[in-house]
Amino acid sequence: MRKRIALALLVLAACAASLPAAFRKEDVKVHQLANGLKVLLVEDHNIPNIALYTFFRVGSRNERTGLTGVSHFCEHMMFNGTAKVGPGEFDRRMEFLGGSNNAYTADDMTVYTDWFPAAALEAMIEMEADRMQGLAFVPGVLESERGVVASERRMSVENNNDGILNESVRATAIMAHPYHWDVIGWMSDILSWRRDEIVAYYRTYYAPNNAILVVVGDFEPAKALELILKHYGPVKASPPPPPITTTEPPQMGPKTVLVRKAAQAPSYMAVWHAPNAKDSDFLPLSILAKPLLDGESSRLYRRLVREEQLAIHVGGGVQETIDPFLFSIYVKPRPGADLDKIDRVIEGELGKIKAEGITPREFEKAMNGVRSDFYMGLQTISGKANQLGAYELLYGDFAKLFTIMDDYAAVKIERVKEVAAKIFTENNKTVGTLVPEGGAK
Amino acid sequence: MKTPVLKPLAVALIAVLAAPAFAAAASQLPAPEKIVLKNGLTVYYLRNSDLPVVSFRMFVRGAGTAFAPAGEEGVAGLTAALMTKGTAKMDAEAIAEALDFMGASFSVSAADEYAQVSGDSLTQHFPRLMEIAAGCLTGPSFKDEEFAKERARQVDSLKSLKDNPGAAVRSYFRKAYFDGHPLGRVASEPSLAKITLQAVREFYARRFRPDRAIAAVVGDIERERLVELLEATLGPWANPAGAAASEAIPPLPRPKGKTLVLIDKPDATQAYFVMGAPGYAMGDKVTPQATVMNTLWGGRFTSWLNTELRIKRGLTYGASSLFWTWAPGGVFQASSYTKNDKIVEALDLTFGLLAKGGREGFSAEEVESGRNYIQGQFPPTLETNASKAGAYVRLAFYRVGFDYYDKYLAAIAKVSPAEVKAAAAALLPQNDYVLVVVGRAADVLPQLKKYGTWQEKKITDAGF
Repeated sequence: MRKRIALALLVLAACAASLPAAFRKEDVKVHQLANGLKVLLVEDHNIPNIALYTFFRVGSRNERTGLTGVSHFCEHMMFNGTAKVGPGEFDRRMEFLGGSNNAYTADDMTVYTDWFPAAALEAMIEMEADRMQGLAFVPGVLESERGVVASERRMSVENNNDGILNESVRATAIMAHPYHWDVIGWMSDILSWRRDEIVAYYRTYYAPNNAILVVVGDFEPAKALELILKHYGPVKASPPPPPITTTEPPQMGPKTVLVRKAAQAPSYMAVWHAPNAKDSDFLPLSILAKPLLDGESSRLYRRLVREEQLAIHVGGGVQETIDPFLFSIYVKPRPGADLDKIDRVIEGELGKIKAEGITPREFEKAMNGVRSDFYMGLQTISGKANQLGAYELLYGDFAKLFTIMDDYAAVKIERVKEVAAKIFTENNKTVGTLVPEGGAK
Repeated sequence: MKTPVLKPLAVALIAVLAAPAFAAAASQLPAPEKIVLKNGLTVYYLRNSDLPVVSFRMFVRGAGTAFAPAGEEGVAGLTAALMTKGTAKMDAEAIAEALDFMGASFSVSAADEYAQVSGDSLTQHFPRLMEIAAGCLTGPSFKDEEFAKERARQVDSLKSLKDNPGAAVRSYFRKAYFDGHPLGRVASEPSLAKITLQAVREFYARRFRPDRAIAAVVGDIERERLVELLEATLGPWANPAGAAASEAIPPLPRPKGKTLVLIDKPDATQAYFVMGAPGYAMGDKVTPQATVMNTLWGGRFTSWLNTELRIKRGLTYGASSLFWTWAPGGVFQASSYTKNDKIVEALDLTFGLLAKGGREGFSAEEVESGRNYIQGQFPPTLETNASKAGAYVRLAFYRVGFDYYDKYLAAIAKVSPAEVKAAAAALLPQNDYVLVVVGRAADVLPQLKKYGTWQEKKITDAGF
């Protein structure tokens, strides 16, 4: 027993400490080009490779009805040719040089992720700078890529029950703000975007003053900066994109959504409107998510999976977003499970937290989890690049990455209870269920 | 996303396949130090103090899914899962609570040929993690109540899996291709229902023993402290008196003729296919040539397959191929999905490319690109403590030496177009294959009959 107490104290002390010497704020070389491009460089010679991540401040948040999904479509078109580099040539050249890439689009950002051997640095910078504003949008290529994205939607939504329910719940909970639709966009929009609309969207958001370039790996910062100035220097800044002014109005009462579909197992999801990443309630809420949902010792896993045996697994939490989004709880119910009972168990646990808060041990557990996740995420050059870029985009300053653990350590346990009482109200809640129809029970 | 993210299983495989190096000077994988505990357990060790984290990996030979008795498919996975659900000192709740409290991860899972044990934590928590790991490995309690819960949960997970045709098609393929062979021992609802707690206890007793285990620790921990810790935790794990159960897997089946299995999912709006044929064994000398060939044919974004199905025609979000390798043999596998009314176009293109590979081979420029790609993408596969520890136990398991990746990369650098063409001719199937499709039978079956002798199943039928 004594050992455990000593361990707990040690953990608290360590939580308050900053990052180890291996990765410090001073290791990040920061530059801003005259055209507005923010550049973050980190030298890391652990492996002879480089991770080059480009973050654009555009995502489904910037879309409108009729153009839903277009941010994600631009992401796909970024591999389909510029005036200088023909369709498919970006990938062919990159792979010839030993590199590979991917990209992802989220509600608030679009991120291009390149991984390559050190010798390919200049070629990659040149091609990335070229496609920042040079996309050709060749009509035949555009139509083919439309088919790819439609297939992606069929895979992730139409043929994925949890995907369908998630889309319906989000659209029910959020009425006004563009977080109403999912990143993939509505199928009818995917099939209908016009080329001129897509091009105009790209021109608005793809500009150096709307981007962050993060390079981590085996290079010399002075040399890399020289290459960046050479290739990105001539890229012109664009007028600042229009601000997103829509604010989600407060929810005035509970909402429910029911999806009927052929299925072997039902699905359940509940969401509550939650604060954005910069809000002072955000960290207490993300701490709360750990003992509630994270791991087999979490309250809801114990109650729903182990004790009541109503579910196969549970998950969820809160996302770091620019505007207020949602706190989500996903449950995969067992076939035939009583979905109302699942809802009652969740309400019961939330009720306890609203009344009593979480225990000191749960609080410590959450802090340990946050800290462990944080370090695990910094083990690779791509992990570092991703974290630096995301922090710069979401908080306006990458340096937040180096103080976030202190911010967590400064949260008082009472705040978790306060925030729970504020967020988990009946009027703030939307519940979605998918119930099997036609297929086997 | 531009491209689907590889699933963990595939990543592990690629780490094995994609093994060569650009700069031949430095070794890809630092040679580990070999520590032998007093009970004979071998632990490979490498210190890395960049971050305050440590990773532990262990393979237990002969404790994978292939060693389930026929009719008890799933016993390996069930045994592995139950090993973290209670020991003499801690019940399931206490174990979960202790691990979550530390923000540590610990799991036991069943791969095909071995059981895999994984643990990762902050340095300060590693001693406690190893105490718990040792408890789970050496003295699981296998309680009735936990057995009933876990078995029910796994049965329901399998039902739920069938709501996701892209995931389900892989299990259907495995069953169809390996029907009757140990590598086809796929857990199903009926097989799980037959497994008893006694069967789990026996599987554990016969197959989890230190003389069958290979371990590795990589991270921020000093050697002396580690040895002391391992002796205190895993040291008391004794070999049972009796002989260990067999760990041999018979030669893989070689399908003759064209076999088609269609799984009817009436609400599917896309059809998902996996086709497979014999490949090669882990460590086979054809590995470098076959890896370059697969990279070019279906193993990367600009591969022939993805170019024809996705890039040129927009038929699908993803089309790819890979080689699965095991000690006794391997399988080549190509897969994709498309709208129900496009499935024939996608399959015809796929079969056309299979024929073209062996007939025409690949250009010198393509082969150079493939070599560069494999070499350039290799270093990140061994970047973390966990991936290095995983590589040590994998290379030791297959007995191919810790310089395996250096040799592999050196061999990749020399692969010629003629060798790649020969690999394509030998390994891309023409007439002997197993093709599995999950889709809406009313739409797709009439068109598919030309691809082989067919049998139809319903997604709602129990099992795969």
